[in-house]
Amino acid sequence: MGAPLDLFAAASAEGAWTVSEVTRRARSVIEAGLPPLWVRGEVSGFKSWRSGHWYFSLRDKSAQIRCVMFRNDNRGLPAPPADGMQVFVFGRPTVWEEKGDFRLTVVELLSTEQGGLWKLAFEKARAALLRDGLLDPARKRRLPPFPRRIAVVTSPDGAALRDIHVVVTRRWPVAELVVVPAKVQGEGAEASVCAALARLAHLELDVAIVGRGGGAAEDLWTFNSERVARALAAVPVPVISAVGHETDVTLCDLVADLRAPTPSAAAEAATPDRVEVLGHLAHLGQRLARGLTQRAQRMVDRLDRSGDRLTAAIQFRLEQSRSLLTAHGAHLEALSPLKILARGYAVARDADGRVLKRVAQLPAGVAFRLRVTDGQVAARVEPS
Amino acid sequence: MASQPAPPPDFGKHLERLETIVRRLEAEDLDLDEALKLFEEGVERLRTARAQLAEAELKVQKALKVEGSDR
Repeated sequence: MGAPLDLFAAASAEGAWTVSEVTRRARSVIEAGLPPLWVRGEVSGFKSWRSGHWYFSLRDKSAQIRCVMFRNDNRGLPAPPADGMQVFVFGRPTVWEEKGDFRLTVVELLSTEQGGLWKLAFEKARAALLRDGLLDPARKRRLPPFPRRIAVVTSPDGAALRDIHVVVTRRWPVAELVVVPAKVQGEGAEASVCAALARLAHLELDVAIVGRGGGAAEDLWTFNSERVARALAAVPVPVISAVGHETDVTLCDLVADLRAPTPSAAAEAATPDRVEVLGHLAHLGQRLARGLTQRAQRMVDRLDRSGDRLTAAIQFRLEQSRSLLTAHGAHLEALSPLKILARGYAVARDADGRVLKRVAQLPAGVAFRLRVTDGQVAARVEPS
Repeated sequence: MASQPAPPPDFGKHLERLETIVRRLEAEDLDLDEALKLFEEGVERLRTARAQLAEAELKVQKALKVEGSDR
């Protein structure tokens, strides 16, 4: 289809083209010369076939184009357009050879009412972001479990900042909040948010929240700006968007590493809960104590096997200290096994610091060092 | 560009080390000496981590406005 036609071969004896040849040629010229495009016009002669395909014309004051929208492309739409409705369509211009019609194969259709224009801008920007890979799910980064510094890009006197402050104070005051003020709606908001996002690269951060409190859907425009979405994608740390609108997903939501329904939810997602972490620490403390007690128990077992008469007493003491350890997880440090030395145990080491555990390691006359609770002393096994 | 103050201490690093210590103490057949050393470090890390959580008070700072464009 792409090869140029050989005009002489294609012509008949009279020098005339066949209808098929002309329409085919017209189709290839149009398809090559007119890329898919957005067209605005009024719907007329709308008809939905049993097959599910839609046929209609799009017209303005002085011209019209035949359009078809196939079932696969139209079934995502909430309703078919009514005759007389002003719409935007995105379609591929082509020639329908059987009818000799110049035609538009429509793949998207938007009403100009109810924010149709905005939707158009949104869809265009979304397509551009998609093309550049910015909507790729693989781009989404995991949030750090214990953030040290959290940046908040928002209006410095808005409800969003207040909400985030409350949640972070309650859950994770270990962190530091860096407020990067930005104008989030109205004139100049786009540039202001972009500048604030660009500054995040210069702060030592773990995570950032971009947000605003509730408000009208029109005020979301800033967060539907392609420029803002790209600035957000360029932030070097994970970003949570908290634009505060449940129904409308903004471009920023799509690009962000996480979308939160509200600024409070964003702050919850960004922080661990201090109470839970303390619980985890207490658990670790108990395991730490148990781990060491078990080591000590093995030492006792060895003494046991050698038939030492003190074993029973030692075991009794170890039992005591073990229950103490479990009961007072908070005061573990006081129960350090250094205390075992304080109770009168001693560790014998040779000149190289190796622990001497067996009789065989202590032949008659050998010198060694004895570690007791408050230091060490030089010692020697009595000559036999 | 104004220089940033140092970020708050890294709680995650403390916790990670503490978890490693507990796992080693539980799983490995260490001699008493080594177990003691690990235990002491563990207690110290535990204390530091607890203190961080207990004393923490949320600090808020405002990034100063940058006039014009410096990049």
